[in-house]
Amino acid sequence: MSVIETRDLTYTYPGVTKPSIEEVSVTINKGDFVILTGPSGCGKTTLCRCFNGLIPHFYNGDLEGKIEVAGLNVVDHQIHQIARHVGLVFQNPENQLFALSVEKDVAFGLENFAMPRDEMRKRVDWALQMAGISELSERPPHELSGGQQQRVAIASVLAMQPDIMVLDEPTSFLDPVGAEKIFEVINELNKKLGITIILVEHRLDLAAKYANHVIVMNKGKIALTGSPREIFTSEEARLIGVGIPKATKLYQHLKKHGIRLKAVPVTTEETADLLREILKND
Amino acid sequence: MSVFEGFKFRKVSSVVHDLDPRIKFFFVSVLFVMAILFTKLLALTVLFFIPLPFVFMAKVNRQWLRSLRGAAFLAIFIFATNFIFGYFSPASFQGITPPVDTLVEYLVLLERAAAMTLRFVVLIASFSVFFLTTSPDHLGLALQQSRIPYEFCFAFTTAVRFVPVLADEAQTIMDAQKARGLELERGNLLKRVKNYIPILIPLIVNAIRRSLELAESMESRAWGASEKRTNLYELKLKRADYILVLISVLMLLLAVYVWLYVSIPSLTTLLSL
Ligand SMILES: Nc1ncnc2c1ncn2[C@@H]1O[C@H](COP(=O)(O)OP(=O)(O)O)[C@@H](O)[C@H]1O
Ligand SMILES: [Mg+2]
Repeated sequence: MSVIETRDLTYTYPGVTKPSIEEVSVTINKGDFVILTGPSGCGKTTLCRCFNGLIPHFYNGDLEGKIEVAGLNVVDHQIHQIARHVGLVFQNPENQLFALSVEKDVAFGLENFAMPRDEMRKRVDWALQMAGISELSERPPHELSGGQQQRVAIASVLAMQPDIMVLDEPTSFLDPVGAEKIFEVINELNKKLGITIILVEHRLDLAAKYANHVIVMNKGKIALTGSPREIFTSEEARLIGVGIPKATKLYQHLKKHGIRLKAVPVTTEETADLLREILKND
Repeated sequence: MSVFEGFKFRKVSSVVHDLDPRIKFFFVSVLFVMAILFTKLLALTVLFFIPLPFVFMAKVNRQWLRSLRGAAFLAIFIFATNFIFGYFSPASFQGITPPVDTLVEYLVLLERAAAMTLRFVVLIASFSVFFLTTSPDHLGLALQQSRIPYEFCFAFTTAVRFVPVLADEAQTIMDAQKARGLELERGNLLKRVKNYIPILIPLIVNAIRRSLELAESMESRAWGASEKRTNLYELKLKRADYILVLISVLMLLLAVYVWLYVSIPSLTTLLSL
């Protein structure tokens, strides 16, 4: 069952002539973990803004084609209506937290929904726990590390219990350890709660293993879409400059030299297992 | 940027911190009114001691002393202007027949200048207790529960939240521009003001970009979804709050009574008798 469906979506920001995304048609299914990747400036952020109605309601501009998210026609619904179904986590953790304590930030969306205080308290505590930051609840967000801030941002979206979570390069300001933690949290949300994830990411080495669907954009268009293994081994992905995981690169390198692993690995662990198998057989 | 240190409020708990900010503000306002009512050094000295127990109970002695020290320059200025102004137009003072020449007359002038300075110090001393012990979050909540529109309260807490961030950013930009050879402390006044343009422009551009991202994030979290928002926190009056109201009202009544019926002597008259 699809939760996001776009048909020939074309969008031009106000005051510019060239569309930032062109004829984008994607289908994303319920429970998917999607990685959206592509060179910088290819329109990933723009597409994310379409998913929760920031485009066209916040940015205006010219939107053509069809887009339906969680059964709602985005053009006909206001952002706060769509926000009940889609949560957006942005790139810069600093500029999406504005309260003076973590729990207050997490409660922001629920306050907007006018949720009664007792219920809100439960939801906030639950979201903090899911994001693994219960002990930070009273700290001021701006004094936390980037990784902690980004987990607060995730909790503040999670508290609204969305069906879909869109994360736009949530780790680009973080170190690898912080990034890894974020991916683990996101993966839990996907596997345990069944939230559909759309993750915009360059660091495929760390993130690829969680995904079941990869979409590659290039110059405002959808260039490739398919399973991680299909995409990472395709020649087009390499030419576009997708950050193919090192494990998959090693697979291709070995293949060129006549060594065929049984499957296409995405992680180091998989590669190690496959190599061990081959070495045993020799 | 130590000026902005004061904005980094730490979460502390004490009897004073936990008081309802509205009540605390009422108490401080009573002190303010009293400081305006009285002009005698003796009365103002008494007033100066009133906020002290609160400073100790809240354990903010160090910060409180620092804010007093911060006000020292202004205090000296107030003292000097009062003294000089009094010297050149002494006719308005009781106990002085112009020109100012006897020792007693000088003492009267000095006492008057000291009283005016102390009045200022009392104001600083009491308001800094309020600001040192009230978290901006609490203050925002108080504003909100005083029926001030939510948009305004939100703007207030967000502004407080971003002051240290902007201060950091200003410092970074300044360092970057200095590294490129910008000399801030060079030239006459006009030149110096101009020197700050390469600092201000990136700062403003960044602030605008930041506010757009904030707006985007707020929209995405359902800003404006319902007419009447709820709030995670709620201010409820506790026993200590009622006690402080009582103290404040009694103080105010006492002050008005003294102001109407008791003539407070000046130190000079007390001593020279
Ligand atoms: N607010 C905006 N106004 C005008 N043009 C924009 C705006 N945001 C992005 N663009 C343009 O749209 C294109 C796609 O940008 P973006 O979606 O941010 O790409 P990505 O996230 O993949 O790096 C770029 O050419 C960019 O310059
Ligand atoms: Mg982007």
